[in-house]
Amino acid sequence: MQIPTHLAQTIVDSRAYAAGDPVDDAFRTIRAEMPLAVAEPEGMEPFWVVSRHADIMTVEKQPEVFHNGDKSTFLTLKEMEPMVRFITGGEPNLVRSLVSLDGQEHKDLRAVVFPSVTPKALRGLEDDIRKIAKAFVAEMLEKAPECDFATDVAFLYPLRVIMTVLGVPQEDEPFMLKLTQELFSSADPELNRDRKEVNPAEALDGLRRTMEDLEAYFGVMTEKFRANPTDQVNSLIANAKVNGEYLNRRQLMGYYIIAATAGHDTTSNTTAGAMWALAERPHLFEQLKADPGKVNAFVEESIRWVVPVKHFMRSATQDTEVSGQKIKAGDWMMLSYQSANRDEAVFDDPFEYRIDREPNRQIAFGYGAHVCLGQHLARMEMRILWEELFPHLKSIELAGTPQRTISNFVCGPKHVPIRFTLN
Amino acid sequence: MAETFKRYRCTFCGQEYDEAEGWPDDGIAPGTRWEDVPDDWYCPTCGAEKADFEMMEIG
Repeated sequence: MQIPTHLAQTIVDSRAYAAGDPVDDAFRTIRAEMPLAVAEPEGMEPFWVVSRHADIMTVEKQPEVFHNGDKSTFLTLKEMEPMVRFITGGEPNLVRSLVSLDGQEHKDLRAVVFPSVTPKALRGLEDDIRKIAKAFVAEMLEKAPECDFATDVAFLYPLRVIMTVLGVPQEDEPFMLKLTQELFSSADPELNRDRKEVNPAEALDGLRRTMEDLEAYFGVMTEKFRANPTDQVNSLIANAKVNGEYLNRRQLMGYYIIAATAGHDTTSNTTAGAMWALAERPHLFEQLKADPGKVNAFVEESIRWVVPVKHFMRSATQDTEVSGQKIKAGDWMMLSYQSANRDEAVFDDPFEYRIDREPNRQIAFGYGAHVCLGQHLARMEMRILWEELFPHLKSIELAGTPQRTISNFVCGPKHVPIRFTLN
Repeated sequence: MAETFKRYRCTFCGQEYDEAEGWPDDGIAPGTRWEDVPDDWYCPTCGAEKADFEMMEIG
């Protein structure tokens, strides 16, 4: 079955994601009428749209059958592919990171950082993260009665946390934030490399220049951590060996980049989106103040609600079936977390923000072997921020119209103007 | 007759623990019942703790 062109165009349209409702409306129709069907938007290779929660779990539970890295791991235009392969020496992804690796290489590299991000290991960081949260809360309170919660808090707090975990000096944070936004927001003239509207070739060239800056920066870091190893994550990456050899340049750079960028941008988007939701729902804030123990449920629902990673792509390694639908070897597939987190078969009132979902089966971190490595850190740092902030606030409301980043991949609110009163 | 082996699933990533198979990589022998898995064992895929696993439906 073929998805009608207007729906196929909407679910890849960065501006539709920025608007919000058009994408949700399109996926509502797709889930109801063609939950596993082919889309062929203009300029793209055709791909299956996996829109249901259950089907995404089915695909993600079979990493040998559905590979991440045989084709582009995220939506891309047909004309970009040869350019990316030219730049990378034949690979389909500009960055060779955990999200685009498969098999033993994925297992080996994931194992480098995994022991540092288990809940057990993270407990040792709770006090340090709380100190960071307190500092950002204090700064925000000084701005009373108004701030842009996205740019003043949500972008900066997760950045400080992840840079501390990685071992990046505080003075380099603005540089890392700028490059992360360039990497994930190439379609947004406010945030991309050239700070203007660009065509696909210009966008790719901007990404390439951003990559060069990141590689230069992390090249120096590798030397530093090999000379003086620490227990920080970037040092683990710099010093990791697989079969007696250091990671190669592509693996090293991919690892640094994914840890530094995905490690805060997703949490920033979720934090900003949570505040947006709260500012529009005074009853929700009252509930949280009356029962602070609901903060974990609030965090989980904010992850379901914002879905900071909108999709990942897979490609079938063999002929197979998903929910009775035949899939051919080589077929490209879009796993839409945006859609799965609104799946009526799993969530009551999926378009309502509710903190009484028990359990909350949100799937924004993915599932199976590629489940987000930093998911427990993300939950913990968001919980701590709200624990530190809420007791100070009497009321919150929007002080303007929030805006989302123009992107169809890793994105969320970029401006959340709020007005707040203090206790 | 011995009780049937059960399976448990990590609620965060879907990793399954099958009592019949144990988890030899972590020193947990095949046939180890869930209650005998050490409390400090964690999910080998995502790091979630033992308490974050749920029993799977049989059949």
